[in-house]
Amino acid sequence: MRVLIVDDEAGIRKVVGITLADMGFTVFEAASGDEALAVFERERPPVVLTDIRMPGMDGLELLRRIKAISPETEVILVTGHGDLDMAVAGLKLDACDFIAKPVGPDVLEIALRRASDKIALRERLKSHTENLEELVRQQAEQLVGLERECAAKGAVEGLTQLIGGVAGDVESGLGLFNGLPCLVSIQDRGQRIVSVNQLYRERLGDRVGQLGYAVYAGTSASPTESPVGRTIATGQGQKSREALFGPDETLSAVMVHTAPIRGVDGQVDLVLELSVDAGEVQRLQDELRATRQRYQQLFDEAPCFITVQDRHLRIQAANRRFRNEFGNRTGGLCYEAYCGTGRPCFGCPTIRTFEDGQSHQCELIVRGKDGEPVNVVVWTAPIRNEAGEIEGVMEMATDITELSRMQDHLASLGMLIASLSHGIKGLLTALDGGVYKVNAGFRASDQAMVQAGWGKVTELIGRIKGMVLDILFYAKKRELQLREVEAAQLAAQVAETVAPKADQLGVDFVREIAQDLGVFSVDAVVLSAALVNILENAVDACLEDHAKEKHQVFFRVRPDASGVFFEIEDNGIGMQPETLARLFSVFFSTKGSRGTGLGLFIAKKAVDQHGGRIGAVSEPGQGSTFRIWIPR
Amino acid sequence: MAKKIMVVDDDPDIVEYLVSIFKERGYVTCSAPDGESAMGVLEREKPDLLTLDLEMPEEWGPRFYRKFSQKPEFKDLPVVVISGLPGIHLAIRKAIATVNKPFEPANVLGIVEGAIGKP
Repeated sequence: MRVLIVDDEAGIRKVVGITLADMGFTVFEAASGDEALAVFERERPPVVLTDIRMPGMDGLELLRRIKAISPETEVILVTGHGDLDMAVAGLKLDACDFIAKPVGPDVLEIALRRASDKIALRERLKSHTENLEELVRQQAEQLVGLERECAAKGAVEGLTQLIGGVAGDVESGLGLFNGLPCLVSIQDRGQRIVSVNQLYRERLGDRVGQLGYAVYAGTSASPTESPVGRTIATGQGQKSREALFGPDETLSAVMVHTAPIRGVDGQVDLVLELSVDAGEVQRLQDELRATRQRYQQLFDEAPCFITVQDRHLRIQAANRRFRNEFGNRTGGLCYEAYCGTGRPCFGCPTIRTFEDGQSHQCELIVRGKDGEPVNVVVWTAPIRNEAGEIEGVMEMATDITELSRMQDHLASLGMLIASLSHGIKGLLTALDGGVYKVNAGFRASDQAMVQAGWGKVTELIGRIKGMVLDILFYAKKRELQLREVEAAQLAAQVAETVAPKADQLGVDFVREIAQDLGVFSVDAVVLSAALVNILENAVDACLEDHAKEKHQVFFRVRPDASGVFFEIEDNGIGMQPETLARLFSVFFSTKGSRGTGLGLFIAKKAVDQHGGRIGAVSEPGQGSTFRIWIPR
Repeated sequence: MAKKIMVVDDDPDIVEYLVSIFKERGYVTCSAPDGESAMGVLEREKPDLLTLDLEMPEEWGPRFYRKFSQKPEFKDLPVVVISGLPGIHLAIRKAIATVNKPFEPANVLGIVEGAIGKP
């Protein structure tokens, strides 16, 4: 402990200082009040020993100053004879003690001991005070904890009531748990079943009121070893593997979980027991796996290219057929994989599906792995997440290349038949002629006539055979038989063919055929058939219309810079937009059983084959106009 | 004098067939292979009835019909259309009948007899 000695007499400072140093104190000295204050400020000794009578600042003043700076510092006053009044005044100023001069070591020791004790006591007191605060804090925390526990108990109580209510609801039983693939029961403290769910009832019977552990095999079939028994004993939820007796005495493995439900008093009132049938879980897993497998199989083996794409048309999944034809493009962009282009196709159905959530369809020509064009019909369907937002789009592209080829084929066949039927009929008629001649020869017993007739029949059969072979050959592919033809002449002949029908039916047939049409290289048979078809349709459209009194069909033909332009206009019944859209499709007809659905389809193919253009505009009730352009 | 039938068809076999049918029945016949030459034959032979094919090279049946029917002497000449073209029954409005190829000889003879009587 450190002590500051203040005395104006150096001898006394020295003697007392040596004595205190011997007693184990660290000693500081000061010769006046002012010096003492300076040392005190610097060293802060807990004890100050000062003479009362000093020149300048006396001991009492020093005491007052030190107490003002540090009330806890103990100050011992040293007094001479007759200074008792001053000593009492010092005590009033909270001096610790006073010692009379001359200062003996014993007295000094006692005084200092007293000061030390006082300091120690004060420290202990201070520590006690601080401890008390800590204690209060701990107590307060405990109180809050208790409060929480009370609140939790309240909640548990509520939950217990709730489950009790659910359990008590006879109508629904444990309806909440019925969707679960597990056996659920609630048992009371006596392990009697309060309620069970539907699956429990189905599997184990309605055991309400009976002992819950009776269904277990082995040691668990006792009140102390059963899961519920252990839960009640420990107050903790339990988890164990158990064997369960079914109603037919079969054993099955189950995973049992229990949870205590406490009452208001904190005691376990009820126990919730969930038994997950391992077999049931296995069965569900198997079912899921099988479903997934079937789905994957369907996905892979469906006779079309299936991809799942995100909003940026990035392929997230693709089926086997797609991978075979277009390579493994998962993660790549749809239009890059399908078309090798840098931007989405015009009218992309997937983008439209992302926009409106509907399915869309379109026909596209894409490129396969070997660069061959593949005609596809694309169907899309949105894939939504649980929130109902469109997460992706499934795109199914069906290869209709074969169908397109068949359509072309059919068109060729149609044109072939149109062009050949006249010839075939002629041949058959001539054959009849030959047979007639043979018969006539026999009737007249004219050997020469029979000979001639038979010669005819043989020749005609040869020609028919040739023609049939031609058909079979051409049926594969019909080449246009192009010849230089006067366009005006062709137009006139077409008009001649149709005009009588129009006249007969009271339709005014107006021909506006320019005479400076020149020649063009066409297959006259095919092109005439197409034009006749459209003209006849125009006349038919007029007959269908009963609203107008007078009907007209205009057949206009005029040249342009590089070809010949045909226009067929009628003021007949007109067409609905949906009819217009499907006009040139194969087997599409508005004429019911009177139409073949081939006419306009073949007409379009004929025009296409000539490198021309065909189009139609129409207004329902007003009429239609067909325009055909054939290059020279 | 027996009644005369003129056959116009571009297929000589069919011409021969029709001619022999009419001849055997007792009619007199004449023929032409196309519309262009038919006009001369018509004016020279002046038949009582005409059978006409529609689709022929050079000049089609309907045009030939219009040409000769404008002449007063042939205005009322009965015409039987015999053709392989579909939808031909309206091609020549005044035709007394339209026969599709291939035809039944008895059918054609019946039409002819109905129009101009027995030979």
